Amino acid sequence: MTGEPRVRSLDDPSIMVDSPATIIDAVPPYPPRTEREAEFYSLKDGEMFVNLGPQHPSTHGVLRVVIKIDGEQVVDLDPVLGYLHRGVEKICENGDWHHAISNCDPLEYIASMFSEAMPVLVAEKLLDLEVPRRADYIRVLAWELNRISSHALFIGWLALDLGGITPILYGFIERDEIVEMLAALTGQKLLFNYLRIGGVNGDLNHEFLSRLGDWMSRAGKRIEESSKLMNENEIFVGRTRGLGVLTREAALRTCVTGPPLRATGIPYDVRRAHPYSVYPELEFDIPTRTEGDSYARYLLHLDEIRESIRIIDQVLHQMPDGPVMAKLPRLLRVPPGRAWVAFESPRGQYGAYGISDGSDQPFRFRIHDPSYFTLQAVGQLVPGHLVADTMAIMASLDPIMGGIDK
Amino acid sequence: MGSGPTVGSDRPSLLASDASPVPERIPVTDIALQRRLTERFSTQLLTAVSARHDTTEIIVGPGELVSVMSALHDDAEFRFELLADLAGVDTGVVLQVVYHLWSPLSPDWLRVICDGLPRDDPRLPSVTFLWNGAEWAEREAYDMFGLIFEGNRDLRRIYMPPDYQSFPLRKDFLMPDDASRSPGQGVRPIEVAFQTAESGRVPLMRVSPGTGSLAGWTRPGEVGAGDPDSGGQVGP
Amino acid sequence: MSVVSRPWSRLSLAGKIILPLIAVFVALNLVIVLGWVSGILPWLVQAILDALGDNVGILRFLIAATIILVITVPVAFMNIFFEMKLIAFVNLRVGPNRIGPWGTLASVVHGLKVLAKEDFTPTGADVPAFTLAPAVVYLAAVMTLLVVPFAPGLYGYDMDIGLLYFFAVGGVGVVGLMMAGWSSYNKYSLLGGLRAAASLISYELPLILSVMGIVMITGTLNLNQIVTAQEGSFLDWFLFRQPLGALIFFIAATAEASRTPFDLTEADSEIVAGFATEYSGMRFGFFFFAEYVNMFILSAMTAVLFLGGWNAPFDIDPLLSAVGITTPVSVAFDPASLGVGLLWLVLLAPALIIGLLTAVIWMLKSSWSIVVSLVVAFLLFNVIVVGALVTFAAIDLEWVIGLFWFIGKTVALILFFVLMRATLPRVRIDQLMGFAWKWLVPAALLNIFVTAGAIVILDQMGKTL
Repeated sequence: MTGEPRVRSLDDPSIMVDSPATIIDAVPPYPPRTEREAEFYSLKDGEMFVNLGPQHPSTHGVLRVVIKIDGEQVVDLDPVLGYLHRGVEKICENGDWHHAISNCDPLEYIASMFSEAMPVLVAEKLLDLEVPRRADYIRVLAWELNRISSHALFIGWLALDLGGITPILYGFIERDEIVEMLAALTGQKLLFNYLRIGGVNGDLNHEFLSRLGDWMSRAGKRIEESSKLMNENEIFVGRTRGLGVLTREAALRTCVTGPPLRATGIPYDVRRAHPYSVYPELEFDIPTRTEGDSYARYLLHLDEIRESIRIIDQVLHQMPDGPVMAKLPRLLRVPPGRAWVAFESPRGQYGAYGISDGSDQPFRFRIHDPSYFTLQAVGQLVPGHLVADTMAIMASLDPIMGGIDK
Repeated sequence: MGSGPTVGSDRPSLLASDASPVPERIPVTDIALQRRLTERFSTQLLTAVSARHDTTEIIVGPGELVSVMSALHDDAEFRFELLADLAGVDTGVVLQVVYHLWSPLSPDWLRVICDGLPRDDPRLPSVTFLWNGAEWAEREAYDMFGLIFEGNRDLRRIYMPPDYQSFPLRKDFLMPDDASRSPGQGVRPIEVAFQTAESGRVPLMRVSPGTGSLAGWTRPGEVGAGDPDSGGQVGP
Repeated sequence: MSVVSRPWSRLSLAGKIILPLIAVFVALNLVIVLGWVSGILPWLVQAILDALGDNVGILRFLIAATIILVITVPVAFMNIFFEMKLIAFVNLRVGPNRIGPWGTLASVVHGLKVLAKEDFTPTGADVPAFTLAPAVVYLAAVMTLLVVPFAPGLYGYDMDIGLLYFFAVGGVGVVGLMMAGWSSYNKYSLLGGLRAAASLISYELPLILSVMGIVMITGTLNLNQIVTAQEGSFLDWFLFRQPLGALIFFIAATAEASRTPFDLTEADSEIVAGFATEYSGMRFGFFFFAEYVNMFILSAMTAVLFLGGWNAPFDIDPLLSAVGITTPVSVAFDPASLGVGLLWLVLLAPALIIGLLTAVIWMLKSSWSIVVSLVVAFLLFNVIVVGALVTFAAIDLEWVIGLFWFIGKTVALILFFVLMRATLPRVRIDQLMGFAWKWLVPAALLNIFVTAGAIVILDQMGKTL
């Protein structure tokens, strides 16, 4: 390329928008910037690039993956991010800590109680604030419900990406019931905006409790049905067993956390490794598996749903009375300092690092989403498998683009 | 509350010593860890080891980063095997990179701050030799702050387009001028003064990308017009 | 002329339909009477019948081909509807239920939608191949229907090499898919086309080998004779005499039809739409139709080869004679004896009956307008006439009963295909080809050997298989 690299804007009328696969050239129109890029974008004999483009039914959000294939086998993989980048960290610096709650909601939009928890827990740490116990219990209840609904969706997605069109609808039935009861509690079905600095926004109400009690009587039944459809299914097992094996050392080096890490045999769960909220008082196990392949990850998600149901049961029995919100001034000036908070979301370990300079705006609010490292692991697991396995592996690792792209 | 902090203003320093005093009811930190760290690394740290809540914190310079991180990762008495996060920070004066590590041997998180990176040439070694998952985290830090990680084989932008000129999360990044330092500038001008009917100007349908920020939006002969690329000007 | 237009505009909608019909009716009758009286019409009719009489074979073939082409569209619609509703029920939802009664017109609307879409050819595409690929795929599927025996005497063309023709023509569809994949100038399409070629060709072999057992038993490739060899009760069906062959054939047929679990040619969660990514509008509609027609054809073939075709599972003659109906019943009625009265009957009777029914319905249900009662009367007339014809035919013409059984078996197999799609995920290309080459082909060969051995042994013992 001579002269300035000309990157065409999509408003350029000289672009003919003809097909999803050719709208963005897989090979970038500028010389490679790094050695890895040079290595990736050089083709050997018989290889070609295919763009699993930003419009694709199976990438979990707006993600573009450039795969270099030799026939049907994937030789190398390069994910291209940024299609969903909203600049959440910068926006959080321009509002105050309360605004950060609704700004961070859409990060993990499937289970947004967890992404809301980031500014809330960081601010509480900086304020040295003690949250009322009832609020803590309600938070745990909401978190575990979100975890179950996210895992139900994961199971459906995994089956859908493999071609089975029924389990996702069963998963959605389960998720729908949970989301309806959370709507009775928070007023929202997807981006709840329920956690507040110092507690939660509103106590449990009658409709929520009646729906919850109703659901607990058949909790997870649909998931069990759906798992019957898939656990022993020869085709499903043949597609997932031995696929995308993540070893213990590779998992630690790639810094993945959450179900992919536990499926390799390392029992790392932030709720036990570094307890927060009322998890020390609750009794639950950490399910692990040792094989590290997609089938193990899928079974692990099923185990986690059962553990979550156990936790919800205990929470309902142990819930104390009291206020649900601590007393805070209206204009909340957070004392200067730095705080790091980590908690376990359905996809792994969420981390938030906040720096306050004494005003009511965060000076720096860093969001760390586990799907970021998980997606990187996809780039290391897929080469050597077939194109069809790209989707299977990505689905089994359960990334969510909202958090990856922030 | 103003438009946020600006460079060079007299903000309180964000180094360790200004943490507010910790009341007794905060969970106990790992004193043993502080002692071990001080014994091992006292000469390599920029300040004393501090702790607050459940996080122990050490601050190093870019020169010592590799040896400190390798020791933390490999030594049997530390075994900080899990990198939880790698973040860039712009304090307004200097840039920092903040690592959070977890070890099965300690109930604390360990925060390692690599401090003192100058704004115009922030170079520091990469930790991808210990954790290859840090590759993307360092790409993001480069994309957002301009931090150059030496040893990262794939240091290119990850969120912003490849031709983007500035670093968004720096404190001296002011929209939209910095965003306009890219070839995408002028294509879709985001801050165009609203033209009322009385002001006499009617925005035209844009016929060519143009290069100026008002090109194609005004009739020929008016202020801001005269874009040589816009052949065939049409009326509304 | 203004004088005519003014009363015309004052007519109701019913009037605007009925009045021109009456005018056409009267004019037609005048022409017929004049032609009959003057002798032109009988001479014309006689000349046509003579010409037809010399070429009955060609005429029969043309009519059969036309009917086959025409019925594939409703068949595909029916398949699409079944699929949508059945998968919905398995998914614990309802499926389309608003368009038409219980959603039955939903697939028709899909067909119309597909017709209305923009039809473009992507830049860089190989235009002749791109344009012809849907036609090749569709025709390869539909042409195989020519030899399928729907009922005794109800077939397109009786070929002695019918089975060979079926597989030969059916295999041409692969060429169409490759054309589509290659000519689209799109890497997804290329991947899809290659996958299609690999999978379809891999499964041709087990498909054909598994029916060799039947060919050995019956000694013929003629499909009518294969069906006749399964006469009697359902224990005579080849399903019980060739169980392994039936299983292999069904699995291979699922792969040939690109149905789940073997639908990776159009795996829409991996390569958007496979070879059909660049197709839109009716071109895509052709691929779509071809897939559903293929499903119907392969179910029909399975029914013909293994489930007895148009044979009933048990003999109903004893049942009928118990009721008092002895076959064949002959209705002593010669339509030709009516002469010109036949034409009057054909033209006038429906109109009179519909008019009568309309009047009765309109008087009974005063809230319905004339147009609505007209439509209802028309439907009712159809029901009455079709019911009467079917009853007579069922007793007098054996092909109606045969068709009923044939369609019943085919639909049962189609429903099984759809249930498989609802429940099973997809296999991968290497698993698919491994299964075909490493398991199905050896099993089919084993089947051939065992069948041959059984035939020889039973021949020695004096029995037949």
